[in-house]
Amino acid sequence: MKQPDARLVALNALQEVLDRQRSLAEVSAFERLTDARERAFARRLVYGVLRWRGALDWLADALLERPLRRKEKAVRRLLHLGLFQLWREDTADHAAVHATAEVARRLRKPWAVGLVNAVLRRFQRERDELLEGLARAPERYAHPDWLLDALRADWPDDWRVIADANNRQAPLWLRNNRLQGTREQGAERLRQAGFKVREHPLAPDALAIEPATAVEAIPGFDTGRFSVQDAAAQLAARLLAVEPGQRVLDACAAPGGKTGHLLEIAPGAEVVALDLSAQRLARVEENLARLRLEATLLTADAAEPDTWWDGRPFQRILLDAPCTATGVIRRHPEIRWLRDPDQVAQAVALQSRLLERLWPLLEAGGILVYATCSVLRRENNEQLQAFLEAYSDAVCTGPEGFGRSGPPGRQLLPGEQDMDGFYYALLHKRPA
Amino acid sequence: MAIREILEFPDPRLRTQARAVEEFDGQLANLVEDLFETMYQEQGIGLAATQVNEHVRVLVMDTSDERNRPMAFVNPEIIERDGTQVYEEGCLSVPGIYAKVERAEQVRVRARHPDGTAFETELDGLSAVCLQHEMDHLAGKLFVDYLSPLKRQMVRKRLEKARRQDNRVPSAT
Repeated sequence: MKQPDARLVALNALQEVLDRQRSLAEVSAFERLTDARERAFARRLVYGVLRWRGALDWLADALLERPLRRKEKAVRRLLHLGLFQLWREDTADHAAVHATAEVARRLRKPWAVGLVNAVLRRFQRERDELLEGLARAPERYAHPDWLLDALRADWPDDWRVIADANNRQAPLWLRNNRLQGTREQGAERLRQAGFKVREHPLAPDALAIEPATAVEAIPGFDTGRFSVQDAAAQLAARLLAVEPGQRVLDACAAPGGKTGHLLEIAPGAEVVALDLSAQRLARVEENLARLRLEATLLTADAAEPDTWWDGRPFQRILLDAPCTATGVIRRHPEIRWLRDPDQVAQAVALQSRLLERLWPLLEAGGILVYATCSVLRRENNEQLQAFLEAYSDAVCTGPEGFGRSGPPGRQLLPGEQDMDGFYYALLHKRPA
Repeated sequence: MAIREILEFPDPRLRTQARAVEEFDGQLANLVEDLFETMYQEQGIGLAATQVNEHVRVLVMDTSDERNRPMAFVNPEIIERDGTQVYEEGCLSVPGIYAKVERAEQVRVRARHPDGTAFETELDGLSAVCLQHEMDHLAGKLFVDYLSPLKRQMVRKRLEKARRQDNRVPSAT
């Protein structure tokens, strides 16, 4: 019987993501590795290659004596895997070269064994000059051209910082469940379990732990003491300022991180959580069960209230809108390769429809929080500008105190105060 | 000691029924050593004699992470099975193909060491999967036999195509 090879599994995972447009979270290839260290190694390789793909491709092209035929995608990816190990991992160089080249044999491409070997050895010899060359090329940012152009247009002073932040690993932020104890007590429990713990200055429930670990290894995860959620995402529930007994709509709830948080803060609230996908709504159910909290869950299209709304207005609405997720590339490095400009346009259209359809469901005097994990202005402040022009009973009142002014609303760029890239707008509905 | 060539699906010799070992001699000891050497070289976790074209009831395994727990089974028999588990299996004779197969979770095995002494042991998890997979080889069976005929046909075509490509393009090493 054959033990799967971690590098071969990594290559298969890349195929799942890049050829079948699966997100890294959905990749099944890793399950083949039963050994936890091998699985962690394969994951590290795949995340790294997806993060640095543009730069690795530049290196591969510089090192290939003759261009590789286009259909030899697997061999090109094998070169990416090998170059990533030599450039950015502490794998023993010789072992990395040999083991990576041998994968070609397992792909039944023995002709490529020599090619991979030659390219990787040449990288070892010419490493310094190559990396100097890369540092002068736009490929050093390892983003697709359209996205880099979009970032440059939206953030003329900050696009380089954003691109660099996208290429750095994000810390593991947990949310302390205040119903089960204070953040200080939570931090103490994590320290006793051997983690280095740090509190976030802006998000009052957020704790970062080191080293990062699988959720099962976080003490108290099973019993709902901690959840995994970036500090930026933890700002949503506070901004909503839910008061006891209020009726709250969480319009695009899955996977339920923010739903759980707002119930932790306002356990008496009557929360209706919607998601378009039953499968994804099941994640909300699991999450709430773990936290021992309850909400009314509906598989429904938030943009079609006629199909699900009972006519009773909401005092609070959280619209965590579907978006390009360009603010969380540091956590999901594959996003940059899976998106295209058409998808940006689709997201913008969907967001505007959701805003228009949900606004009438908000009671006068109520608050709607609009959130995206995008850094593109069309989805964020430009979207809200258009909305405010069209709706005279909508007033943007914040938020304040973090990131930079939209205007309207507030933008966090990835990496700012150790958070993901997020946009928030706080909308008040003027009393009639 | 030598690294042996591994037969690959759909080679008909993989369908041979292995016969029981009767002589526990130096020839058997050499075969067991070759099997271990070939298995470790190919990063296998188990290898049956059938796969190196020796049709006797001998198999070797090492399912440990550290690759330091070699086990050899001569004339193995499963005398008890319990529970079920599903594992995504691969095979040195079916390169690059992985498929989920359901097998017993726990097995009790009676076998002989290469020196002829009899033993019994209980295996579970991956070791149990591996033993059942290797014992199938001794009976001329492959894990792809558990796939639907259509899927098995796809596997066959894929391997044949890969093999043709190997022959066409000379190795660069």
